[in-house]
Amino acid sequence: MDTILKKERLGEWVAQIGSRARVFAPAYADGIWNFSPVAAGVSIELDHGNTVRPAKGFVFPQREVLYRFRQESGKAPELTETLPDTTPTVVFGVRPCDGRAMVRNDKVFTCGFKDPYYSARRDQVVFVGLACNMPPSQNCFCLSMGGSPHSEDGLDVLMTELDGRYHVKAITPKGKAIVESGAALFDKMQVPDGNAVAKVHADADKCPQRSLAAMEKIAAGLKEHFESPKWDELARACIGCGACTYLCPSCHCFDINDEITGNTPLTGERVRTWDNCQFPDFTMHSSGHNPRHDTGARLRQRVSHKLLYFVENHNMQQCTGCGRCISHCPVGIDIVRVATEVTGQ
Amino acid sequence: MSEVLEAPVQAKKEAQEFEPKIVAFLCKWCSSAGSDLAGVSRLQYPPNAVPIQVMCSGSVSPLYILSAFNKGADGVLVSGCHPGDCHYLKGNFFARRRIYLVQKLLKFIGLESDRFRMSWVSAAEGTKYAQVVADFVKDIKALGPQRKLKAKN
Amino acid sequence: MVAIEDIRTRARELLEGGKVRAVLGFRRSSAGLLAEPTFVTELNDVASLVWDATCVHNLALYLVNEKKRQKAERNPDTRPLAVIAKGCDSRAINVLLQENHIARDEVVVLGVSCEGGGVIDVRKLADVLRGKEATAAAYEGLGSVKVTTASGEATLAASDVLADRCLECATAYPSVSDVLFGEKVDERGFSSRFAATKAVAAMTEEERSAFWDGHFERCIRCYACRAVCPMCYCDECVVDSTSFIVGPTTTAEEKANRIRWIQRSTTPADNAMYHMVRAMHLAGRCVDCAECERVCPVNIPLRLLNTSLESEALEMFEYTPGTDPAQPSLISSFRDGDPNDFVR
Repeated sequence: MDTILKKERLGEWVAQIGSRARVFAPAYADGIWNFSPVAAGVSIELDHGNTVRPAKGFVFPQREVLYRFRQESGKAPELTETLPDTTPTVVFGVRPCDGRAMVRNDKVFTCGFKDPYYSARRDQVVFVGLACNMPPSQNCFCLSMGGSPHSEDGLDVLMTELDGRYHVKAITPKGKAIVESGAALFDKMQVPDGNAVAKVHADADKCPQRSLAAMEKIAAGLKEHFESPKWDELARACIGCGACTYLCPSCHCFDINDEITGNTPLTGERVRTWDNCQFPDFTMHSSGHNPRHDTGARLRQRVSHKLLYFVENHNMQQCTGCGRCISHCPVGIDIVRVATEVTGQ
Repeated sequence: MSEVLEAPVQAKKEAQEFEPKIVAFLCKWCSSAGSDLAGVSRLQYPPNAVPIQVMCSGSVSPLYILSAFNKGADGVLVSGCHPGDCHYLKGNFFARRRIYLVQKLLKFIGLESDRFRMSWVSAAEGTKYAQVVADFVKDIKALGPQRKLKAKN
Repeated sequence: MVAIEDIRTRARELLEGGKVRAVLGFRRSSAGLLAEPTFVTELNDVASLVWDATCVHNLALYLVNEKKRQKAERNPDTRPLAVIAKGCDSRAINVLLQENHIARDEVVVLGVSCEGGGVIDVRKLADVLRGKEATAAAYEGLGSVKVTTASGEATLAASDVLADRCLECATAYPSVSDVLFGEKVDERGFSSRFAATKAVAAMTEEERSAFWDGHFERCIRCYACRAVCPMCYCDECVVDSTSFIVGPTTTAEEKANRIRWIQRSTTPADNAMYHMVRAMHLAGRCVDCAECERVCPVNIPLRLLNTSLESEALEMFEYTPGTDPAQPSLISSFRDGDPNDFVR
């Protein structure tokens, strides 16, 4: 469903949605772009670079309570289910790389076993994407990852900025619903609009980006060079922080802990939090053995998960080329360069 | 008329209902003995302070203090021997420097400075201990519950 | 001016003579404007060494990390490491020496003076350039920084683009070095020491509280601040759980009751706990290299926590970290005249 929205009507559309759902949009505060709640009556401007934190937190929050427990001494524990709050939520300004990452997260959380917490959120959050007219960061490489600056994958609506107006395309039923709810605000798409959209998309495709060899080549190369000494060399400067994976739109590893709130009776919550393959205690065995004992092995894990293991399991690369891990690495470790150098492509 | 009177009465009632939880780290040799003396002397003082005996005020890690606030303490007291009286000779001097810095840091992040205190109470100063706790409780009652560093459970 | 050729020549000499196992320096990065750390072990790579205002990292960190790495090796190379160190980095080395974490003969310090300038802050630069990407930046002296972008060169006021730590730095030259490149320049006229932290201290209690609540709430606990800090060298950090061994006989109760000072959950209270513990642990040790603040992906002004304690240490205890490896450390020493009025 293709429609046109005049820029001056964006605020009205957001307000209409805001009367029925929580609305988030990128806002610049404290020196970073971040998805922030849009207060009633406040207009939004979609002129942002990519947000520092990806959109994955809306469906896979950093902290999720799985259930509460209570146990009197000597008795069986009582468990209370805590499914997430499913207030309708609409997120504006999601870049296509984050949208494509959502497809990857769906594979992990809903194929085979359907995670109820993830699904409850995923079913109600509406992602309104914004096509990139130019790469929002110097480390973008979505084209090499099989995506594009105007990819629709994983998004419910895709907006493309044209001169004085947006092209708004509803992709999923959830997306159609929010476009139809504001139907009076939209104009019908004319042929020149269609041509303008095609031109903007084609121009965006031509913007220079960083590049990486084809999926199969990289995957085969990583498999072949699993034991390469390059890993240690490239990771020697790695400081072992978790910025790369916590900022990644498709990293999904988690840890489960019991948080005790009282001792008599024993009360607390079982909590799921993001985990991070770059931390020293990630997958550490209770014997003290650590299968990924140094930064080289951990870098290999991160890069291979993105570009090899996920390809083997799901026939798609997990990385979507947003470039956050490169831009925010404290010491300039660069997944494009690492994959290129290790595989010799 | 009655409406005008009721509001302050209500507020006062609420303030009275709030009983602060105070965690008191007391050194074994002086302050803990001082608190015992306050008890055996049958001094009347508020029961809000939960004593935790430590070997020396110098052994109180800043982590204990922060953790007490995190677990819901409305106030934290560290009490040790008077300077020069430390059983381990220097422990309370180390404590004084460290606690000073903790206090400044808590103030810097905006925690009310009345919520964290240090005192010197000797084994003979049961009355002083009772006074320190009574003052502390009074000041914290005026501030209300501590929420800033408390884990939201 | 520091001539990079001088540094390269020295690095070459050290490597040729086999006196060091590596020269730790900076090279250009594929990730963007900032230089990146590099371990030069081959003579061929010496030419990749660079020195300019984009060399922000505190390489003293790698003296610590390499030590850990060496421990795990069977036949470690025990020759010293040569490290390029700015004023702040050299102070960090001094603290590591003071704490006997490294020995003086384990390191060859190639000291580099910032010559009255400093390193750039990429966030400030991005604001000033309004979206244009810089490809190079160099301190030119006399309070100006030359920045190259795709559309040409621009000379910017240093006070607009240098990192706060550099604007406030009192000694922008090494306090320990085996070789010194560049002139020691004492005159700086950018900002006064502790200006940023004093501005926060001057707020009302409510303002300060709201200021930090907002920042701590944003923390994602990636621990980049901890990982980048040369002083955060504990084998096990209070937020990690690498030494709690769970065996077949560990009971559910033991697991439930194990001490977890700080939960893994990113709640504002736990985030605050983490940052406060870190700040306390760095009292009298932080040398204000401000790497924690630079690497924070969500831009929390972490440096302020450390400098607030640094300013207290200076004012009340006349203590400056990193100036003298022989001085006793701040919190393992005391004086009779320490403040006592605050104690009841």
